[in-house]
Amino acid sequence: MNEAVTGALTSRLTALADDELILAQRNSEWTGHAPILEEDIALANIAQDELGHATVWLGLLEPFSGRSPDEMAFFRDAEDFLNVQMVELPKGDWAFTMLRQYLFDAYEHILIEALLASTYQPLADAAAKFRGEEMYHLRHTHLWVERLGLGTDESNRRMQDALDILWPAAGQLFVPLPDDHLLVHEGIFPDLAILQDQWVAIVRPHLTAAGLTFPAEIANTAARGFHTEHMATLLADMQLVARWEPDGEW
Amino acid sequence: MDTQWPRWEVFKKDTAKKPYQAVGSVHAADADHALLNARNVFVRRPQAVSLWVAPAAVIFSRTAEQLEQGNPLPDVDQSVQQTYQIFRKATHRRSMTFMDHIGQVEAPSPAHALQAAIAQFPDPPALAWWIIPADQIISSGEDREMAAAWFDPAKTKTYKHQSAYGFVSARPQGRRRSGAKDE
Repeated sequence: MNEAVTGALTSRLTALADDELILAQRNSEWTGHAPILEEDIALANIAQDELGHATVWLGLLEPFSGRSPDEMAFFRDAEDFLNVQMVELPKGDWAFTMLRQYLFDAYEHILIEALLASTYQPLADAAAKFRGEEMYHLRHTHLWVERLGLGTDESNRRMQDALDILWPAAGQLFVPLPDDHLLVHEGIFPDLAILQDQWVAIVRPHLTAAGLTFPAEIANTAARGFHTEHMATLLADMQLVARWEPDGEW
Repeated sequence: MDTQWPRWEVFKKDTAKKPYQAVGSVHAADADHALLNARNVFVRRPQAVSLWVAPAAVIFSRTAEQLEQGNPLPDVDQSVQQTYQIFRKATHRRSMTFMDHIGQVEAPSPAHALQAAIAQFPDPPALAWWIIPADQIISSGEDREMAAAWFDPAKTKTYKHQSAYGFVSARPQGRRRSGAKDE
């Protein structure tokens, strides 16, 4: 792998890790506050899974970045994070959280299927490890989208409100990083344009069947690395203890 | 007003050789939702190969004490048989599971099914019985790939084991087992 490819891989692994890390942080905010006990456990479990994935991606990154997973998670500022904006948005109501998780799960599901064929073996190995979990996550949120979309007038309205924000926001998942084409050329990472078509083919029919309509707004095509005003407060929360006690032993 | 979703009993099969065992209940809006909740609540830690859920409302349950008062059989059409799954509690010993699946019978009513079960499964003596119509039980299914998605992740997550939370049961300093090296 030449230096340019290594650089591209470093950025892509950072993006993969940051999406999962920040989404896990948002989902963990429901712990103790979910609508019922069973879902409280479920979402905490899903958050823990996503956090586990972030740890794996950050572990793969360490030889390139020279920074440990904890350093990456707790000692970077907002401008160094490469997550998409949709995962940093406040958790909102249950409809918003479930729909965000659904859109992300569907993305991760097809991403993982594609990564199984990565020519960079550690990526393929990680994908194989995550595959089962993601099938289950997707089934969980697939079910919630259907139940809330077709539930009551109120649940449908809340889902529609969530889709109006999240549908354009999710477009950013498929915006390539500047050097992604080097990875695509080497067979290390899939072409996001192809993934986007597959993603739309999964989520569009399901959301339509759930009684939702698609907003006309165009997709968010901002480059990764630009954040909403919510990112700073999320990081303050997430990083507070680690920064208080940077040499702390756990 | 009771605003809870209906209650479902959850049965977990730990290995291919073990019976389905009642492990607890979940609230859920429907069967699929109940299975997902069951997986979340009861399969976060190993181990499991399959799950069943059944609406608590359809379970015909009798304790040994209740059966001392008899098992009145309803007057039903004997020619209309259906399959009932039989669960038995036979010991007070275990804390995490309390009913084992022991088999199935064909019968025209739950009470008839219980009568048949008592005759067919006399040992060990039952402390309690659950009789559930087989068609009311929803299974996580036999599909190998889905089973792997549901049950395999927990096996590698040793940090979720109770034993990983060492500090919960750690012995306080100064109260070590006698004969310990530092004594």
